[in-house]
Amino acid sequence: MEFVLSQLAGFGGAFYALIIDPLTYVYLVTSVFLGITFGALPGLTATLAVTILTGFFGNKIPLDYSLIALLGAYVGAIYGGSYPSILLNIPGTAASAATAMDGHPLAKQGRGGEALGLTTTASFIGTLIGTAALLIFVWVLLLISKNIASPEKALLALFGILLSGTLMSEDLVIKGWIAGLIGLAMAMVGMDPLLSEPRYTFGWSYMLSGFQVVPVLMGAFAVPQIIDGLRHMEVGKMVALQGRILPNWTAVKRHMPTIARSGVIGTGVGALPGVGEDVAGWVSYGVGKTVSPDGKNFGKGSLEGLLSSETANNACIGGALIPLLVLGIPGSPPAAALMGAFKINNVIPGPTIDPNIILRVVAIMVLASFTMWILGLFTAKIFIKILRIPQTVFLPVVMVLTTIGSFSVGGGINDLYLMLGVGFVAYFMNMMKYPIAPLVIGVILGGLFDETFRRSLFLSDGDLGVFVSRPGAAILLALNVALICAQIPAIKRLFSRLKRKPA
Amino acid sequence: MDTRQNITDEKAVLRARDFWTSIGLFALSLFFLWRTSFIPLWGENRAGVSGGDWYNSAAIVPLGIFTGLLVLSVVLFVIALREGGAKTALGQVGIGWNRDEAWRFSTLAVILFFYIAGLVPRVDFILCSGLLITALIYGYHGGFARRMGVAASAIALPGAYAMAVHLPQSEWAKHDDDWLTLLVWLVLTGVVLVQGKGDRVARATPIIAVLAPTILVCAMAFGFRQNVPNRGGLIFKQIEYHYYVTLKPLWSR
Repeated sequence: MEFVLSQLAGFGGAFYALIIDPLTYVYLVTSVFLGITFGALPGLTATLAVTILTGFFGNKIPLDYSLIALLGAYVGAIYGGSYPSILLNIPGTAASAATAMDGHPLAKQGRGGEALGLTTTASFIGTLIGTAALLIFVWVLLLISKNIASPEKALLALFGILLSGTLMSEDLVIKGWIAGLIGLAMAMVGMDPLLSEPRYTFGWSYMLSGFQVVPVLMGAFAVPQIIDGLRHMEVGKMVALQGRILPNWTAVKRHMPTIARSGVIGTGVGALPGVGEDVAGWVSYGVGKTVSPDGKNFGKGSLEGLLSSETANNACIGGALIPLLVLGIPGSPPAAALMGAFKINNVIPGPTIDPNIILRVVAIMVLASFTMWILGLFTAKIFIKILRIPQTVFLPVVMVLTTIGSFSVGGGINDLYLMLGVGFVAYFMNMMKYPIAPLVIGVILGGLFDETFRRSLFLSDGDLGVFVSRPGAAILLALNVALICAQIPAIKRLFSRLKRKPA
Repeated sequence: MDTRQNITDEKAVLRARDFWTSIGLFALSLFFLWRTSFIPLWGENRAGVSGGDWYNSAAIVPLGIFTGLLVLSVVLFVIALREGGAKTALGQVGIGWNRDEAWRFSTLAVILFFYIAGLVPRVDFILCSGLLITALIYGYHGGFARRMGVAASAIALPGAYAMAVHLPQSEWAKHDDDWLTLLVWLVLTGVVLVQGKGDRVARATPIIAVLAPTILVCAMAFGFRQNVPNRGGLIFKQIEYHYYVTLKPLWSR
């Protein structure tokens, strides 16, 4: 009880400091508005919103304000994806794909206003659930993480890359692992962290400092999106909005168990390293379909179905920040972009992070979700108008934004070459169904993995037993091995045979 | 039935691509394993100092990564072979990329290459970005193949000129490529307005093309006080001069 009260007191202090600063509102309203706009425009994603704003705000303003801008855009973009899902049947972001299943049928039934009002409130409550979990669990995990040493860190980084590769692959799981290994390989370029031995620099001095995170993020997430989106597409027929976009409190109260369940699922999925809001939305939708009495109407315009996905994808944000802040492992692709912002501000997320930053993040999340709720309810008509802008008109502007954002982070023209190179590779990887998130997570965690893996071996004089000498390390090693073995066909067959035997 | 056929076709194309990718990955892994051999592994001496043991070596993690990639490329190759990837790959040249898509991608690749490698370092950012926005909207809004070619040529012409005439960094401040870019931009804007008479997107294009880069570059340079590409560019030089000499003294006094 004392622990909870002390957390609440700390949060209250951070929250008060935020609300008395007028600049907070300038950054918050602008970033949440931009975030919803990015989310609402099909072709732009939440990851892209956070990535582009990282290039713009990452190291140009104090970290506190840049966090407001980036978290505001993150919360706004995940919510904004629901507009085209409901009105156009085109998900604005991958996170809102499940929302379209019931949102669009509801709009076709003339209940578009009700659907948007409910998703706005559900997204608000979902974000708050995720944030509450962040406030509580991050401290518990931080206390535990103080005891983790190099072997655990190395195995955790590897687990993050493997899990992200496993869960984000649309086609073969090994494609996710290949993407993760390519990311790790990219992180090896430059001076090595322990002996300052140059690796794969090919005599180019720019390569000595390794690949910078922001150009890689821009290249991986923005350039393929621009190349893919610059094609002629008929804007789908928008369903005319009927009814006022106001929360129906009776309906919210009635569906509170669904909202609470989806919030918990979203937070849990978000806390898994590298697994994003889209997975959270689908998992919650699937669970809802199984356990809800209204399950048979899912896909035909069920409010339960709509709330299941929309609450979960926003709750995922708080969940995704838990591994990021505690362990320095991003919980989702937009969190990977946030990690980039931390890195260029010389803040290392993980057990040594300043606790005040965590409290400030929580306070920003609460304010951002409230701003999103207000903007969603009262300026929805503006976002509906924005939906009509063709992507061939806004993507060229995004290209210019990406270029100047990437250039100004520090590396100059060389960073632009890197961005373009990574962009073309990422485009072809997308085309061949390789997930990009594990690549980015590999680039971000590569340095940590290299350093902690070698430090572990150094401390044990090369004894590989160091990776099973501590219970935490042994569990993580077992998880890594299990994750790999679970994909080997012979082991899969053996397990299915064992399962069949008792029957 | 059609849907099932489409899925099978899509999978066949995917496996054909996997076949080629696995070969590429195999070669890449071997190349980088060879490059890794340049990093001391077994305690070699460097400038008379012992490099320590194998577990200290900077090569140990890269060695693991590229060996892992090599193994996974073999697994991918086997999967592609088993699922008929080789047959499709060797039987079809295009591996699922139709002519229109290849043309769209090639023109975009030309545009992005000449914009990033040719224009941004050498030409005023407002000019080259204005031209880029105009070219991309003109070329890709509506999906006309001929327009894509025109858009690519409009960027490639000043981009190639800038690269050919002012390749070394010492030449980047010259302005003849800025003038050429401005000329091409004006001509293309004229084409956009004439061809798109009555079209709202065509009317909005010049406004977006001027305002977006101007606002962005000014916000970055004067708002966030950050480095921007080509500070000595034809237009930005004037803006910067008047900002510091004419405007700033008004509120600095």
